[in-house]
Amino acid sequence: MVSLDWLVLAPVLAPAFGVLLVLLADALAPRARGLHLPIALVAVGAGLGALPYAATSAVPARSLCRPGPEARCFYETAPRGLALQFLVLAGALLVLLMLGPGTTHLDRTQRGGPAVTVALVLAATTGAAMVPATRDLPTWLIAIELATLPAIALVALSRGRGAESGALSLLMVSLFSFALLAVGVGLWTLATGDATFGVDSLRVAFADPDRHRVLLLAILFLIAGLGFKLSAVPFHLWTPQAFVVADEPISAFLATVSKAAALGAAIVMLSPLAALNASGDSGATSVRLVIGVLAIASMTLGNLIALRAQDPLRLLAWSTIAQAGWVLAPLAMLTPTAASASVAYLLAYAAGTLAVFAVAAAVHSGTEGYGERSLTAYAGLGRGNPVLAAILALGLLTLGGLPPAVLGVVAKVVALQPVVGAGQWWLVAAAILNIVLGIAVYLRWLLIVVRPAGDAVPQRLRLDPGLAVALALLGAGLIVLSFAPGLVIGLTR
Amino acid sequence: MATIAALARGARVDEPWLPDLGVSLTFGADQISGPLLILTAAISVLVVLHGQRHLPPGGPPALYFGLLLIVETGALATFWTGDLVVFFVAFEIVLVPMWVLIHRFGDNHDPAARREAALRFVLFTALGSSLMLAGILGLLAQAGSSSMATVATVTIPSGTSLGLALLLVIGLGVKVPLFPLHSWLPPAHTIAPTGGSVLLAAILLKMGTYGLIRLPVALTPAGFARLAPVLAAFGVAGIVWGGLVCLIERDLKRLIAYSSVAHMGFVALALGTNSALGLQAALLANIAHGVIAALLFFVVGGLKERWGSVDLAVVRPAVRETWPGLGFALITGLAGSLALPGLASFWGEFLALTAAWNPAYGTAAPYAVWGPAEAVGWFGDSPEDAPGLVQPGSGWDAGWVAWVPPTGFLRTLTIVAAFGAVLAAAYSLRVARLVWAGDAAPRDRAGDLTWAEWVVATVLMLAIVTLGLVPYVVYPGVGS
Repeated sequence: MVSLDWLVLAPVLAPAFGVLLVLLADALAPRARGLHLPIALVAVGAGLGALPYAATSAVPARSLCRPGPEARCFYETAPRGLALQFLVLAGALLVLLMLGPGTTHLDRTQRGGPAVTVALVLAATTGAAMVPATRDLPTWLIAIELATLPAIALVALSRGRGAESGALSLLMVSLFSFALLAVGVGLWTLATGDATFGVDSLRVAFADPDRHRVLLLAILFLIAGLGFKLSAVPFHLWTPQAFVVADEPISAFLATVSKAAALGAAIVMLSPLAALNASGDSGATSVRLVIGVLAIASMTLGNLIALRAQDPLRLLAWSTIAQAGWVLAPLAMLTPTAASASVAYLLAYAAGTLAVFAVAAAVHSGTEGYGERSLTAYAGLGRGNPVLAAILALGLLTLGGLPPAVLGVVAKVVALQPVVGAGQWWLVAAAILNIVLGIAVYLRWLLIVVRPAGDAVPQRLRLDPGLAVALALLGAGLIVLSFAPGLVIGLTR
Repeated sequence: MATIAALARGARVDEPWLPDLGVSLTFGADQISGPLLILTAAISVLVVLHGQRHLPPGGPPALYFGLLLIVETGALATFWTGDLVVFFVAFEIVLVPMWVLIHRFGDNHDPAARREAALRFVLFTALGSSLMLAGILGLLAQAGSSSMATVATVTIPSGTSLGLALLLVIGLGVKVPLFPLHSWLPPAHTIAPTGGSVLLAAILLKMGTYGLIRLPVALTPAGFARLAPVLAAFGVAGIVWGGLVCLIERDLKRLIAYSSVAHMGFVALALGTNSALGLQAALLANIAHGVIAALLFFVVGGLKERWGSVDLAVVRPAVRETWPGLGFALITGLAGSLALPGLASFWGEFLALTAAWNPAYGTAAPYAVWGPAEAVGWFGDSPEDAPGLVQPGSGWDAGWVAWVPPTGFLRTLTIVAAFGAVLAAAYSLRVARLVWAGDAAPRDRAGDLTWAEWVVATVLMLAIVTLGLVPYVVYPGVGS
């Protein structure tokens, strides 16, 4: 018999149930087009509401356990996993708000009707919420793909010019990364003889020189596959292509929820390695080097190209690539606290990125497609819409790591601390260089916002109510977290 | 709005002495940070007062005063905190508001130059503070705590200590600014509005020297002892370089900026002696420069407002004739700048040279840093609780205690620095001749000091004279 704790599973089950309800509602009442978004909001909200239960029930919260002396659970969420689930669900909630609550915005930007869009968002959310809780390779792989494929469909259904080609490149990359992950999973199972991410079987495999080699190959395949999902250099090329064609909320979804899924997958995969590393078993140093090099390449290339971008969404795409490097840097240290630091950084990054995307959605609501959007549209934003400008400034400064967005500064401190602690000064040096590059990237945008607009009377932007609520939540969240950044760090350990 | 702000500033002068212990935020003042806190608060009051009458164009007053207050908050928090991470965050707080101050309210003759100056300021100082962050995180990794008081009791291996001290000195050296890292300062000063220049010179640069005293000198003594002569050498290079540039510079605001580089060179030289006397000299020179540079930037800002530019190549009527009040303030500031005995900067520079000539004089800097710190601030509220001076023992790496800097090297530096002091006299008199004495025929005499300028100049001149006559109010030194 398998023991089940439904409430612990609720963060994953609620959005999955939401998919069913949305599709059911669409089948029963095809005319009620305004119904789907509220259902989805309730479903995601229910998932969020169930998180405190999982956080307080046990550490780690478990479900789907087999009885017996060798009890194994197929679902486990340590505080890190819960933090990622929180990020996934909260991110999905904000993206849904940005899409709604009426259907006019959805109809304007997405094909296929609201039911399809909402169901796809919920399905991807389910997968993303599931990834950090998985403990066995098959479920892990399925959850990753469940988080990815609906997101591709969302890009494909965008009305933006060139959406199909953007989605196609995303699809090709996803298939390729799926192949890499599948091969990696196969090799891992071959080397360890175990279909779970267990420490003991890994230790045995590391000790045997032949299996050691297979295992390293498996890890390399898995890292490459996850590199695509995280959009780390050199697996990043789909990101700018998809971002410039998709609607802002969809890009925001890709930049935050999908990235959280990828980080969750990476942490699940690397945690047995980290446990080995902690017990003094070396052999993981080459893995550290690989991830560290990916981190440096992502940061540097991402920032350098973002520095030249004229389209705000292209800039954001390259900025997420650079930020992926920051997420990877502590992860490369292969310790549990470093993994927590990665999650904390991702939370701060997600808050900043969502805020910037929300403001971009508001500012771009009049324009359509690549080539028409430009950073110059932000000139005079500070005079015409001071609140929007303030939220944008907070978001950009959070990403750049400059006060008054103290959250971003603390995130940089948290991300660098394990790297310095491990004495990896090569990575620290690259990170310092990239702090400065990043500041140049985000200040370049902010410069346009604070520049006086000249004589043109800046127009006041009209906001959709859902977007307004999302903006208010993000602005308030950034301000509160800048005073109490400890909340974010506390969530992850 | 500004009046309320000014009142709030006035009230805050006393506040820094109240220790405020948060959950993980440690704040406390001691004899090293106290004078700087008062300087910060006082200069902020003056800048806000000045802004009431002389608001730079470029944006609404609320934005201007708001930015000034954020800068002040960051500076106060920097001087106030006893926690390394909070120190870093506070250090960074001033960046963005200062950037906007330069960018929005700066000299509007050349937008491209303004943008470049603002960006260069941010990127240089951000690079510096990122290096400092690496050093701070290294200290954290060594001590397992971010409390300065705890870190100070941890023995850091000699090699690591040197590496961390190097990171901290270079990182903070950008802000000071130390000689080869100074190139962001002149453009920032030239472009910034008067209030911004004053904050930059009087407060922001002090955050760099304060950081040097608080972090590398106090927390990585073994490493700093070996770096100290190098620091002194770069300081002297700054003195001479700044002085030489001042002899030929045409833009008066830029000239004052370069003289700041020279004055901060004296502070670096004093710290580079790694002695208690040097520390005292550094603190005195620090405060003195804060007051004098503030006065000079106020006066030069006033001249720029009246003339439209401060190009020294343009022949103008004598300020002494046209605007006697402004002229008097200018000549006082210049006299202070050339370190006339009896004025504030004399003691700092004289003691710096003395300390460099007799490097073994006095105790090593860490005693000086942690003695008063313990007596007043972070361990107990009353001096009775203080454990007294930190004794060398198990907690300290024995290597640095016996280490004495090479006397001949430092004496050579002293002679060169004294030559630099002569340069200061030369460029100060050059400015006095060109601007104060003037060449062209006197014109309309209207437009002397406004009430705001009058208040500001009077307070600062009084401070310069007071500090010159009773310098020990700043920092009594160990054992007094």
